[in-house]
Amino acid sequence: MEMLQITNLKKRFGDKEVLKGVTLAVPEGGVFGFIGKNGAGKTTTMKTVLGLLKPDEGTILVADEPVVYGQTATNRYIGYLPDVPEFYDFMTPSEYLTFCGEITGMDKKDIVTRREELLELVGLSGEKHRIKGFSRGMKQRLGIAQALLGRPKLLICDEPTSALDPVGRKEILDILQAVKEQTTVLFSTHILSDVERICTDIAFLHDGVVCMQGKLSEIKSGKRTEEYRIETEREADARTLAEKFSECALSGERQLLFREGKATIFELMRFLADKEIEIAGVERMEPSLESLFMEVVKK
Amino acid sequence: MKSLIAFTKKEWMEQLRSGRLLLLLIIFTLFGIMNPAIAKLTPWIFELMADSLEESGMVVTTVTVDAMTSWTQFFKNIPMALIVFVLMESSIFTREYQSGTLVLALTKGLERYKVVLAKSFVLIVLWSAGYWLCFGITYGYNSYFWDNGIVQNLLFSVTCWWLFGLFVVMLMVLFSVMTDANTGVLLGTGGVTLAVYLITLLPKAAPFSPAKLMGSVALLTGAEEKGDYYKALPITVVLCVVGVMASIPIQNNRRL
Repeated sequence: MEMLQITNLKKRFGDKEVLKGVTLAVPEGGVFGFIGKNGAGKTTTMKTVLGLLKPDEGTILVADEPVVYGQTATNRYIGYLPDVPEFYDFMTPSEYLTFCGEITGMDKKDIVTRREELLELVGLSGEKHRIKGFSRGMKQRLGIAQALLGRPKLLICDEPTSALDPVGRKEILDILQAVKEQTTVLFSTHILSDVERICTDIAFLHDGVVCMQGKLSEIKSGKRTEEYRIETEREADARTLAEKFSECALSGERQLLFREGKATIFELMRFLADKEIEIAGVERMEPSLESLFMEVVKK
Repeated sequence: MKSLIAFTKKEWMEQLRSGRLLLLLIIFTLFGIMNPAIAKLTPWIFELMADSLEESGMVVTTVTVDAMTSWTQFFKNIPMALIVFVLMESSIFTREYQSGTLVLALTKGLERYKVVLAKSFVLIVLWSAGYWLCFGITYGYNSYFWDNGIVQNLLFSVTCWWLFGLFVVMLMVLFSVMTDANTGVLLGTGGVTLAVYLITLLPKAAPFSPAKLMGSVALLTGAEEKGDYYKALPITVVLCVVGVMASIPIQNNRRL
């Protein structure tokens, strides 16, 4: 089952068309990475899913129910963590979670057990201070706790790691990794290493449309370009190769990047053998998410 | 209902912990004490100034003050208290818009109208509590020093003014759902208040304006009759209800 299904979503602000027909399907289970540059429309898409923005066109289904702007009933399936979560900072974390539980209509006992469970999970269980003095990382962790409080089917996090230091980022990623058993996670980011670390599925949002989506592993293997890094012993040899093969590009004094085109790697090797060019190393390149991203963005 | 109570509880906690509640209580108490105090001090002030006034050729005879002097002060000072109240509470909605705290509550499924209802309720209770506290203190001192019996229609006239305060509270709510910033709330509330006040300058329209209720001090001396207020009173009540009801669809459609 698809947890979230967006079809042909369009949204413009004034004369700026931010979303130009986004179509996206988030399967149940796993961690879905929603990738795009700053300003690509990730936040706009997420806010529309939450019923905070009115779409100009298109439909959104959450757990097969349509999303309605304003009074958004589908939000009962969703836990949401905004990019910079703001809490009532005169409360303590435990008071805040109680408040959240009460406004969602959870019963008292459930609030208490769930609250303690989640504070433990995000490492704020001993925290008796008011939210006012919290660091960004602590707020972000509390944000995850409040988002998970109602046992949502879908957890939406808007750039949860962007504003954090490496330690804070690792903590958030570990928490997201840990909760994927309980809920489907959809998180937006432009930090590709985070995606490679925890995502099972990804979608690239670029220029208002989703230009690539699927299982991370499949996308990576499907996009495998035949790219090799070649290092020669002598500088002159590297230059000779670069002149001979148009598929070669110098990437250092004695280093070349060879991307298979007209000439295959075998032809290159034959040439190396014929000319008796000494090689320091040949390496097949794994496609990185970054190269995929750059490819998508350049298109 | 549960969520409405929870949100209202949160509002109280905020009023309490931010110190606003305490500050409002202190301010209304001070205003309450000030009215009889000014009345009580008037003869003494005149006495102090008697010498200098005599030099300029004015003869000061004994000034008599009574409960009426104090109640006149009450009606002179309460607009100031209302202004302080508006300034302190005008950000009750807008600070949530600007900080984004409301987004989390709303995405949890809290209906937007409950935000309007809870905050309206808190404002009404705060204004009423402050106002009647101020009234009670003035009343207590007045009956201790003088005789409250000499003023006519006391309860009716103070109720009129209290209702005018509720009208202003309604304006605060209405402009809070329409604008994003505090200044918008202040300008809107101030603007409409000024407008209804200007209406009272037109003799024919005056009885219909909510601002008519601000002049209820005239009832105390018998210069006006209760009947003079029978048009402005229901109009104000209706406007208050309509205002809060209109706020709900506006809030439902606003972008956060």
